[in-house]
Amino acid sequence: MNKPRGYFFPLRPGSRKSGRLRLSSKLRSIQLIIMLTFMAVTAAVAVIVSVMLYGKFANTAEENANLNMQQIIEQVNYNLELYVKGMGSIFATAEKQITSTPSIDSPLLYERMDTLMSSREDLVSVAVFTPQGQYVVGTPGQTMRMNTGLESQSWFTTAKHTSEISYSAPHIQNLFKGRYTWVVSISKLIQYRENGELRTGVLLLDFNFRTIDELSKQVKLGKRGYAYILDPLGNIVYHPQQQLIYAGLKYENVEPVLEYAYRSYLDESTGEKRFITVRTLAQTGWKIVGVAYYDEIVTTKRDLNQFLAWFLGVVLVCVIAVSVFLSWLIASPIRKLERTVKQVAEGDLNTPINVSGAYEVEQLSRRFNMMLQRIRQLMEQIIYEQETKRKGELEVLQSQINPHFLYNTLNSVIRLAERGKTDEVVTMIQSLSRFFRISLSKGKNIITIQEELDHIRHYLVIQSFRFRNKFRYEITAQEEVLECQTIKLILQPIVENALYHGIEMMPDEGLISITAGLQDGLIIIRVSDNGLGMSKETVNGILSGSVKSTSGSGVGVRNVHERIGLYYGREYGLAFQSELEEGTVVTIVFPARPAGEAMDEQKEETNL
Amino acid sequence: MKSVRVWLTVLLCGVLWISVSSCFNASPAYISTSKTRNIHLIVKMNKGDYWNTLKLGAEAAAKEFNVNLTFKAPDSESDIEEQVVMVEDSIQEKADVIILAASSYMGLAQVVDQAAYSRIPVISVDAEVGSAKVRTYVGSNGYEAGQKSAERLIQLLQGYGEIGIINFTNSSLTPDSGKTGSIDYGARDADEREKGFLNYAARFPNVKVVQIAYTSSSTSDAENLTREMLNKYPQLRGIATLNEIASQGAARVIQGLDRDSVKMIAFDSSPSMMESLQDDTVQATVIQNPFSNGYLAVKYAVEALEGMDIPERVDTGTKLIDLENMLWPENQKLLFPFVR
Repeated sequence: MNKPRGYFFPLRPGSRKSGRLRLSSKLRSIQLIIMLTFMAVTAAVAVIVSVMLYGKFANTAEENANLNMQQIIEQVNYNLELYVKGMGSIFATAEKQITSTPSIDSPLLYERMDTLMSSREDLVSVAVFTPQGQYVVGTPGQTMRMNTGLESQSWFTTAKHTSEISYSAPHIQNLFKGRYTWVVSISKLIQYRENGELRTGVLLLDFNFRTIDELSKQVKLGKRGYAYILDPLGNIVYHPQQQLIYAGLKYENVEPVLEYAYRSYLDESTGEKRFITVRTLAQTGWKIVGVAYYDEIVTTKRDLNQFLAWFLGVVLVCVIAVSVFLSWLIASPIRKLERTVKQVAEGDLNTPINVSGAYEVEQLSRRFNMMLQRIRQLMEQIIYEQETKRKGELEVLQSQINPHFLYNTLNSVIRLAERGKTDEVVTMIQSLSRFFRISLSKGKNIITIQEELDHIRHYLVIQSFRFRNKFRYEITAQEEVLECQTIKLILQPIVENALYHGIEMMPDEGLISITAGLQDGLIIIRVSDNGLGMSKETVNGILSGSVKSTSGSGVGVRNVHERIGLYYGREYGLAFQSELEEGTVVTIVFPARPAGEAMDEQKEETNL
Repeated sequence: MKSVRVWLTVLLCGVLWISVSSCFNASPAYISTSKTRNIHLIVKMNKGDYWNTLKLGAEAAAKEFNVNLTFKAPDSESDIEEQVVMVEDSIQEKADVIILAASSYMGLAQVVDQAAYSRIPVISVDAEVGSAKVRTYVGSNGYEAGQKSAERLIQLLQGYGEIGIINFTNSSLTPDSGKTGSIDYGARDADEREKGFLNYAARFPNVKVVQIAYTSSSTSDAENLTREMLNKYPQLRGIATLNEIASQGAARVIQGLDRDSVKMIAFDSSPSMMESLQDDTVQATVIQNPFSNGYLAVKYAVEALEGMDIPERVDTGTKLIDLENMLWPENQKLLFPFVR
């Protein structure tokens, strides 16, 4: 039974058998759905915004760093250009002095050369060679080495081939005695006079790296970034780690650099991302190359990164907290409502539903409350209608009493009339007439106790003709009781019972005594007889209707009991006390209501 | 149920956090330079261009990898005790790594073991040391260098004649008796070079190695030894010197000599040797790569500290330089340290 229901109504929180189903219903709870959705949406927005911000900032940072680096390299380029220009002008000065001197071996030229040498710290040597490689003149005080091999050195060969100034790659100066130094040579084919004769020769100026070093060393491109200089052939003129490169311990990827004169690009040949910026010196064709490490350029990027990571973390935590709270706020009244409704469903219609929270939930609870009220009302109505229906049935029963009694009584009258007892017939007919008058009471259900007692007296008078000398009766009532209300015909079935079952079979004369009294606002009417009495089982069976006497009057007694219960409440009714061979006492108890107070009718009106 | 959900949420957050942060902070591929490391470099001698260049290389690496380099060397190459004391001091000073150019193969073995016992890695540079605890050796192949020297000298002598060898730090410090010593107290590189030379020369029946002289580490001592040798063997046609000091001393003697008949093969590339080469006093020299040795030794020391795998043996190579090839650009770069 459980399973198909669960199948047909998957939303009903009923089937608690399988854990899987329970989990899924847990997953489908409003709180969880709201929480997850809210979290997902907010997290997504935060992530997207962060990523976009990051991209934007990172780009800007990268561009700025790149630009900055280009400017630095540009600056170095400019400084070097100035320096090379300076070298060129020194070369021009030397050339001018040599060409203008009438004879190359004049002491004046020596002197000038000396001044030139001492004016510049980075100038290593000046010398003039014949195109055959013979030393002509040079810095004072220097002596040539043997086996220099200068004819095959690049500065010499290039000078012989072109008339332009040429700048050599860095090389070892091995021409003169003293230290072997690394130099850059500037050379050119020039004209000079020796003893008045015009000759051609190669002028050589050697510069060491001091100034180039100083200019390039200033370049700081981040913590690890640096700049280096290449000659047009790809030889390294300056590198902060020149020795390492010469020793083959480091490697600089110069090929892509050589292809362009002016370029910035991202290089990944060493496995690390590096920004390379290339500028070219106009005079020498040297290339200044700036190398900046990508991860350093982007330190801002990393900072941003970290910040965003923290930011995202905090946002996520906040979002989770807020979404948990929010979903709880929304879901908890609904859950409370659900619990209450469940209680109602279990049968407790009087459960009050007072759920506060969101407007909709509040409305829902209010409407539900109203619905519940209506249900209660309808149920009461149904109960009432049922009771009225039964009352009607009782009234029918009540009217059924009469013909039976009438038949018996009329038989008695006939018997009296046959015997010619006119007086007694008159009394009997009179009593009968009054009896019926009170029985009908113009259709009223409620009469005074006075009337009820009269009614029973008439009944007893009639019955005393039938059961001649069989019983006596006495009726006593307190004054204040007489004007109180009662439903009619409550005594007659009891007395009838006492007569037919208690006294009729008795050999002696019986006594029926009826007393009516008021006690604590209750009317207590006792009908006692000294007849045969009843067994305990019979007493218990009378009101529940399990004892059926053959004459059918047992139903009458029960009717009385139920009618009192219906009119005055279930706590009122009949009580039996009986002892076999001793007699029976029937006590009727119901609330005292003064006459004229048609409470019952009014109550019935309002209930409808 | 409620607590399970809370824990699940916490776990989810944790996983999310880790994944997010791991995306952002990838570890760098280069050696970390955030930490300063103390590396002690102990070489054979505090004089000579060779050791100077080696030191330059080590300093270059020290600068690059944020190393606090302590340079130590005894006054003389034969001062083994002092070097032992220096290593002991370094152990006391809790150096992170000790880089050692051992003056004696066996003489420093014990102290190296001691360093290893103190969990200080030891790296050999130039000359090996007789300990299995050495992490790596950075230097040239001495045997090969000796063979190169012998090959060129014998070629110059056209395959016949008497040859004298001037070597350094012999096991017994008394010439001509080193071969009987049961314990090898000589410097490993000197031994190897000598062995390489002799083994090559042995192939030529007409070539005779008449004397092997051992100099302590001073030029004047080497000069005296050379003079003695030339006096003792007037027929001497060739001299091979197997280290820088010996070469400088011998070159000075030969330069002063008028006779052109003595050919000489030197070792290492001091500037004075270059001059001798250009003067044709010395016909060739076998060069090593001291700058690379120093640089690589420090670099591998740092890598060892970082826990990286380092090769067991790094051969930085030797080269024979003569007048003809000394000015080739690639050789210029090797011969003349780029000093600023």
